[in-house]
Amino acid sequence: MTMSSSIDGIAATRQRRVVVTGLGGLCAVGNDTPTIWNAIAAGKSGITPITRFDAVDFETRFAGEVKGFDPATALGRKESRRMDRYTQLSVAAAREAVTQSGLNIPAEATRVGVLIGTGMGGMETFEAGTETLLKNGPKRISPFFVPMMLPNMASGGVSIDLGAKGPNFGTVSACASSAHSLGEAALMIRHGTVDVMVAGGGEAAITRMGIGGFNAMGALSTRNDDPEAASRPFDLERDGFVLAEGAAVLVLEEREHALARGATILAEIAGYGTTDDANHMVQPAPGGEGAARAMNIALDDAGITSAEIDYINAHGTSTQLNEKLETQAVQRVFGERAATVPISSTKSMTGHLLGATGSLEALITIAAINAGIMPPTINQVTPDPECPLDTIPNFAREGEIRYAMSNSMGFGGHNVSLVMARADQRAS
Amino acid sequence: MSSRTATDESQRVVVTGYGTISALGNTAEALRSSLRGTMSGLRTITRFDASDYPTSFAAEVVDFDPESILDRKQSRRMDRFTQFASVAAREAVARARLDVAADPTRVGVVLGTAFGGVETFVQTAEVMLSKGPKRISPFAVPMTIPNIAPGMIAIDLGAKGPAFAYASAFASSANAIGEAMRMIQSGRADTMIAGGTEAPITGLLMAGFAALQSLSRRNDDPGQAVRPFDLHRDGCALGEGAAMLVLERRDQALSRGATILAEFVGYGSTADAWHDVQIAPAGEGLARAMSLALDEAGVAPGDVGYLNAHGTGTTMNDELETVAIKTAFGDAACHLPISSTKSRTGHLLGAAGALEAVIVIQALEDDLLPSTLNLKTPDPACDLDYIPGSSRSAPIDLAMTNSMGFGGHNVSLVFRGPDSR
Repeated sequence: MTMSSSIDGIAATRQRRVVVTGLGGLCAVGNDTPTIWNAIAAGKSGITPITRFDAVDFETRFAGEVKGFDPATALGRKESRRMDRYTQLSVAAAREAVTQSGLNIPAEATRVGVLIGTGMGGMETFEAGTETLLKNGPKRISPFFVPMMLPNMASGGVSIDLGAKGPNFGTVSACASSAHSLGEAALMIRHGTVDVMVAGGGEAAITRMGIGGFNAMGALSTRNDDPEAASRPFDLERDGFVLAEGAAVLVLEEREHALARGATILAEIAGYGTTDDANHMVQPAPGGEGAARAMNIALDDAGITSAEIDYINAHGTSTQLNEKLETQAVQRVFGERAATVPISSTKSMTGHLLGATGSLEALITIAAINAGIMPPTINQVTPDPECPLDTIPNFAREGEIRYAMSNSMGFGGHNVSLVMARADQRAS
Repeated sequence: MSSRTATDESQRVVVTGYGTISALGNTAEALRSSLRGTMSGLRTITRFDASDYPTSFAAEVVDFDPESILDRKQSRRMDRFTQFASVAAREAVARARLDVAADPTRVGVVLGTAFGGVETFVQTAEVMLSKGPKRISPFAVPMTIPNIAPGMIAIDLGAKGPAFAYASAFASSANAIGEAMRMIQSGRADTMIAGGTEAPITGLLMAGFAALQSLSRRNDDPGQAVRPFDLHRDGCALGEGAAMLVLERRDQALSRGATILAEFVGYGSTADAWHDVQIAPAGEGLARAMSLALDEAGVAPGDVGYLNAHGTGTTMNDELETVAIKTAFGDAACHLPISSTKSRTGHLLGAAGALEAVIVIQALEDDLLPSTLNLKTPDPACDLDYIPGSSRSAPIDLAMTNSMGFGGHNVSLVFRGPDSR
C-alpha cells in the first residue's frame, strides 16, 4: 500500500528540480568559501587552543574556532551587538552565499524562504544570562537575552538581513540539524511553496557549557598536546571529536528559475533521505541501520544506485563508536564497493560544527565536485581494522565527482543523507 | 500554486489522535471540559520562588507525575519538556489506536519547541559555576537539546521515519504540524506524530520575558491577569505543557477504520523580515500566512467558522493581529468568531500552536467555541468578535489557528470538521 503511493507522491513533485547557486561559509579553516576550500584541498587543520574562554580547568582545551571574524565590521556594529555569535556567523555566511548567487531577494521576497539549522542556538547568550541571573538576580537580565538565545534567531536574523519573506524556521536535530535544513528546504522548492531557499546552519558552542557538557559525556578528544592531530576520524587512535564553530549557508533555487536568470549552477540537490534510529538517546543503532536507511532513501530519491556515487563526505566525528557504525552503514548500502568508494571526513580539518556541520560538509562537497578534487581525511596514521575504507588518507586526490553523498547523524537517533550531483549530470 | 484538488486523494491528511497536557489538565479530555467553562490555569508560581520577580504567576501543569506514566529510569533522564511531549504523544497514539510497530519506517515524529531543556541547562550552569566543569552530568547535553523530545518519542513508540524538531519561537509547533502534513503529502511518511512542547517556567525565562516587558504584572490576581483584546491588557503569562497530534493519510485512516477527528486542509508559513521581536506593520506577514492557508484549503474567508487567535494579551500583538485578520478576511472579518485561549492556558511558547490546533479541532468536533476570558473593556483598536464571556455554540465546518514568533515567524493552520466533505 505504502510503496506505490509514496512513489506516486514523489513523481507528482518531480518536475521541479533544486540547484545550488550560492555558497557561503565560515569555519576554523577560513572565513569564506574559497579560503575554506583551499585549506581543505591542502589538508590543513584549523584546530587550535581555545581562546574564547579560559579553558585551563577543562579536560579539553582546544577547538575549531573561527579566527579573525569581527562581527561589527562584517555586519555593522548595532546589528551585530544584538545577535548571538551563532546568528552573526549565519548572517555573514548567508550574505556571502546570496552575493555569489546574484539574487535580488527584495524583488521576489515572498518566494524566498530561510531555513537555518542549529544544534544549540545562542549558547554564549544562554550561558551569560544564566550567570547573570545566578550572580545578580532576575532584574539584571537584558531584554535582548531571550531573542538572542532562541535557536530560531539565525533564521529570523538572516530573513531580516536579506528581506526574505517566505517560510522561515530552524530545524533542530543536534548534529544533523543543517543537513535537515538543506533537505527540507529542497523539498519546499520541489513542492512549489517557494522558488528560492537560503538554507544551512550556524553554531557557536565553544563555551564552558559546550566543552564541559561534551567532556562529561567523554565525547571530546583530550589530545591537548597536539590539537592539529586530535581530529582523526577512522584512525585507530581516535579519542573523540573536536568541537568547532561556524556557519555554512547555501542558496537553493528551482532549476528553471536559476536558468531563466542566467545564474551559475554549482550543483544539484538530487536526493535527500532522513530517518530516525528509535534506538538510544546518544548511540547510533546497531549496524548503522538508521543511517543506511537514510542513504538508501536519498539514493532512491535521486534515482541512482550506490554504484554511481563517486565520493562520500562522511559524518566521521572521530569517536570510536561513530566510525565503527558508520562503516557498517556504508557497507550495508555500498556492499563490496564500500572498501573502494572514496570517503573522507573533513571534520579532521574543520572539527565538528554540530548543527552547522551538515551544511558545511555540503558546501565542501559541492566545492569538491566543481574542482574535481576529493578532500582528504587528515591524521590517518594507523588504520582501524574495523573501518576498512578508502578514507583518502592525508592528501587530496584528483578525481571526477559526478554524484556525491554527504551523511550526518545526531544525538537522538537522527540520520540524514544528501545526494548532490554535478551541474552537468542531469541536464534535461 | 500549492492548492490541491478534491480528487487528489494522496494529498489529503487527517487528524486521528491528539494528546495534551497543560495547566487546564493533563489530558485532552480535561482540556475540553475546562474550556467549556471559564476557568483560568494561571496561578502563583510554585516551581521556584518567584517572589523577587516582576511577574510571579504562570500557567503551571499540576499533579504531573511522569514516573507513574513513563518508565521511571527513562523519565529521570528527560527534562520536563521531553516528559510532557512523551506523555502527550502516548495519549495521541492511544486515541488514534495507531499501531506504530506495524510499519515503523513510515511513521515520523516532529515537534516544535522554542527553548528545549531550559531547566536542565540552568541547573547544569549552576553546577559548573559553583563546582567546576568536571561536575557536569553526562546527561546535561542530551537532556537539554531541543531535538531530544522527538528523539525520545521515536524511541518510546518505535517510530523510525523522519524525526527532528522545528524552531520558530512561538510558532514552532504550528510549523511542525504544517511541515508534517507536507511530509505525508510528498510521500515521505504515511503517519506523523507532530506537535509541540515547552517547559519554560524557570527563573531564567521569567526574568528574560519580564525584561522584554512581555509579561502581565497583575500578581495580585493571576486569574484575571491575561486579557487578550481588552483595553487594559498588560501582557501575557508563560504557560507550560505539550500537545501532540497524529496526522495520517486520509485513505490509510479510512482503510484501518480510524476515527477521523478533522481534516488538515491549509497551512501558510511566512516571515516578516522586519524585526527581532516586533511584528511587521499591519501584521503584513501574518495576513499573508492566513491567506496562504485559506488558498490551500480552497475556501473563502466567509467559510471559516472560528479563529483561535495568537492573542497573547500584549498591546502590540492583539492590535496588529486584528489588523492582519481584517486584511486576510476582508468583509468577513466582522462576522468571524475569534478567541484567544491564552488567558486560560498561558502562552505555551513553542507548544502554543499545537495546543491551539487541538482546541480548534475540539471546537469542530463539538460545535462549541471557547471564549476569551477577561475581556471586559473593549479596545477600539480591537473591534472584532472575540467571543467574550462564556463559550458559544455554533455549527462550524472550518476553523483556523494563528501563531507568531520572535524573529518574525507567522503560521496559520486550517482544519475542517470530519463530516463536512
